[in-house]
Amino acid sequence: MTEVSLLSLVKSYGKSTALKGISLDVGHGEFVSLLGPSGCGKSTTLKCIAGFEDVTDGKILFDSKDISRKLPEDRDIGMVFQSYALFPHMTVARNLAFGLEMRRMARSEIADRVARAMDMVQLTPYADRYPKALSGGQQQRVALARALVIEPAILLLDEPLANLDAKLRDEMRGFIRDLQKRVGITTIYVTHDQNEAMTMSDRVVVMFDGEIAQAAPPEDVYDRPASERVARFVGNANILDLAVADQADAETSLSLPGGGRLAVTGGADAPVSRLRVMARPEQIALTGPGEGHIDGRIAKRYFSGGHVEYHVDTDCGTLNVLCPTTQNVAEGANVGLSFDTRRLWPLPGAAHVTAEPAA
Amino acid sequence: MGLVTPLLSLLRALVYVFLLAPIVVVVLASLNAGNFLTFPPQGLSLRWFWTFLNNDVFIDAIVYSLILAALATAVSLVLGTMAALYFVRHARREAEAVRIAVLLPLILPEILTAIALLFFFYEIGIGTQYKIALFTGHVLMTLPFVFLNVTTSLQGRDDAVELAARTLGASRLTAFRRITLPLIAPGMATGGVFAFIISFDTFGISFILKGTGSAPLPIQLYDYLRFNFTPEAAAVSTVSILLTLVLVTVSNMLFGRD
Amino acid sequence: MKRARILMLIAPVAALIFLFIVLPYVTVLMMSFRAPAEGQPYGAGFSVEGYRQFFSQSYYALSLPQTMGLGIVTSLVCLLLGYPVALHIATAPKRWRGLLYGIVLSPLLVGIVVRSYGWTILLGNAGVINTTLRNLGLIERPLPLMYNEFGVVLALAHVFLPFMVLPLLASLQTADPAVRQAARSLGAGRFTVFRRVTLPMSMPGIQSGCILVFVLAISSYVTPALVGGMRVKTTTLLVVDALIDQFQWPFGSAMALTLAVSAGIVVLIFARLTRIRWS
Ligand SMILES: Nc1ncnc2c1ncn2[C@@H]1O[C@H](COP(=O)(O)OP(=O)(O)O)[C@@H](O)[C@H]1O
Ligand SMILES: [Mg+2]
Repeated sequence: MTEVSLLSLVKSYGKSTALKGISLDVGHGEFVSLLGPSGCGKSTTLKCIAGFEDVTDGKILFDSKDISRKLPEDRDIGMVFQSYALFPHMTVARNLAFGLEMRRMARSEIADRVARAMDMVQLTPYADRYPKALSGGQQQRVALARALVIEPAILLLDEPLANLDAKLRDEMRGFIRDLQKRVGITTIYVTHDQNEAMTMSDRVVVMFDGEIAQAAPPEDVYDRPASERVARFVGNANILDLAVADQADAETSLSLPGGGRLAVTGGADAPVSRLRVMARPEQIALTGPGEGHIDGRIAKRYFSGGHVEYHVDTDCGTLNVLCPTTQNVAEGANVGLSFDTRRLWPLPGAAHVTAEPAA
Repeated sequence: MGLVTPLLSLLRALVYVFLLAPIVVVVLASLNAGNFLTFPPQGLSLRWFWTFLNNDVFIDAIVYSLILAALATAVSLVLGTMAALYFVRHARREAEAVRIAVLLPLILPEILTAIALLFFFYEIGIGTQYKIALFTGHVLMTLPFVFLNVTTSLQGRDDAVELAARTLGASRLTAFRRITLPLIAPGMATGGVFAFIISFDTFGISFILKGTGSAPLPIQLYDYLRFNFTPEAAAVSTVSILLTLVLVTVSNMLFGRD
Repeated sequence: MKRARILMLIAPVAALIFLFIVLPYVTVLMMSFRAPAEGQPYGAGFSVEGYRQFFSQSYYALSLPQTMGLGIVTSLVCLLLGYPVALHIATAPKRWRGLLYGIVLSPLLVGIVVRSYGWTILLGNAGVINTTLRNLGLIERPLPLMYNEFGVVLALAHVFLPFMVLPLLASLQTADPAVRQAARSLGAGRFTVFRRVTLPMSMPGIQSGCILVFVLAISSYVTPALVGGMRVKTTTLLVVDALIDQFQWPFGSAMALTLAVSAGIVVLIFARLTRIRWS
């Protein structure tokens, strides 16, 4: 199994630069997602790996061998496209056989492998159908099987679920992840949907403007984002901008508007006057007025089946709070808010700006 | 309102008759047994088809036109398909300029283009010799039709299919041959049929650039009609209509409707 | 290197258009300013004699407005005949559409010489129409249907009608039917919907159809020659006569370019008058 390494990858289109130095290692059998807003360079990264674009600078290594100059057909990759890119003039079976024919495999061997691949994605009854006569989910599975039947070293997927409806998307998520684990193939998966990236990946690579902002396991990206931008992109984030009351080695004490104190672990390396901390909506609990860290008033209430979301006006701004449906408070009620202090995350970067000169 | 709808229907029906009438009349006239293009016909006969079949001038002209159309279509198919591939797949800011440039022969008045070519070929010392000017003119007139049809069949297509073929191990050439070509074949067929018919029927270019010696069918027919009024011309026209119909039908059967 | 290979796709056509369209048109422009000569197509040196010759002789100069008029009338006739047909096809049930489409395109499958010839059979003094009318006792002497503007316009309208219907159809089909339904739901009657919604929305098709037919009509040769019997003198007929029969290349070129420029002006005025503000 191959390991993929991107070494300071740069890709320019004329004057504009789509990739500004991407470095990334993908381990054997690892499932890595590239996550970022539209236009941040995810597809470009994938195209460079697949060989559809020449890199402007930097190197791509497969198993420590530089393949930057190899043609796409010699790279031993399997790729699934957003549009599926099924060959409309070939039946399902012929689509699957194409890659094996290119490898000049014996006819019986091809038939054998195609049959197994169709079984793997549960499409055996559709072998003789043309792609047009299949549903979106079935087409998706053909595309997946076609990429896997050639037993490539690396699997690349570019927003494969973007064209499916919500329910099917959830199903396919589990399907793809299970299949990937079973085959044990190194996978790079492109998506702009943070839920998809979180639920499927071993590691999430967040990209903005042609650069990697953070590459870490899903829990880390969610709980310990590398920047405010990452925090906001991978989920709902409440950001509190608070004055520093006391700064010790491992703990920083912040003063709250109501006069209370909030202790957070970590924080800035240098002495600072203010700190921005992040709290996810489910990391804040509703209490009676005066019983939590700060007080507030319910501005809006949204019921969504499993949860209730509250927008609470406080002296720290409007905060999002996610509660189980058992906790029911009417709009306009006064409440207290209690933070899960172990999971409060001081955001790196921005805090240093307000550092005071040492007295 | 009550009167407008039937009046509109009548007008519409008349327009359809108007469109078909001259063609029907030509075919009927070719079956006339009489010596002149009289109406009503003096009995039905195929005698004018026999006259035509024994007239070397017309037979030569038809063969000449068929060969010219086949060659011009072949060249246009290759060049027009290449240009369409460039236009749809690779052109960016220059796309509109490329489209207009390729369509120029269609936009500019044919007779003016013919005259321009005549002067140009005289200026470079070739004139109408070797039929080069005539052939160039026919390629120019047919090129836009191939381009338009192949462009249409490419535009609806997902160009990721070729990339998919490449990741599956197909070389650039194999991907083109096994994936792209079958997908644009109907567009090429339609474009080719259009090109062939245009070349077979075009007048201005052939009229100005024909040079000496044998001439394409429309020119021969025009020369004949200026001084003769026998139904033989109608017989020739009918045969040329039939040839066109056969071409369209065969192509439809081979490639289906695009 | 990749870019170079991609450019190879367009290089042959680019060369073809440059060599055999751009350069030849430059040649015509230069030719129109060459000096005339006796016994050969053109003489040494440059002059504006060709243009002077054209504008100073009313026989030639007057052909220009007449040709423009012929083109405009042909466009209008095509529009009047073509619009109901395009509307019909656009709203016809699917299984009929193919056949109707075929009828509209049928003139294109038949050479322009054959079609013009068909009209001479129909319109001639001993032609289908006159004979029928005489046999019915409706007329005594044949109506003058051919060898005049009437016949030429009729034949031209037939020849170029497909070029009107196709753009009309395209613009009618791209218009979202929901817009018409919305207008009905807002209380507009069928005729109001046509006048206030359908017609304005098909304006791009009307524009391109009219321009196309106009340009094709004024530069056509065979139809005026056969149906007009050389008695309707269009500038295009005079151009070919000067170039091919009289061998006066500078004069013919000057005439051809004047025709092209005049057509361009008419098209510009038309485009300006029918300017579309909302697209
Ligand atoms: N062929 C190209 N030519 C010029 N710019 C391109 C090209 N392909 C992509 N880009 C630009 O590169 C940037 C990254 O694009 P892409 O990788 O497709 O983003 P995404 O993350 O949405 O997949 C975008 O700003 C896009 O406009
Ligand atoms: Mg993308």
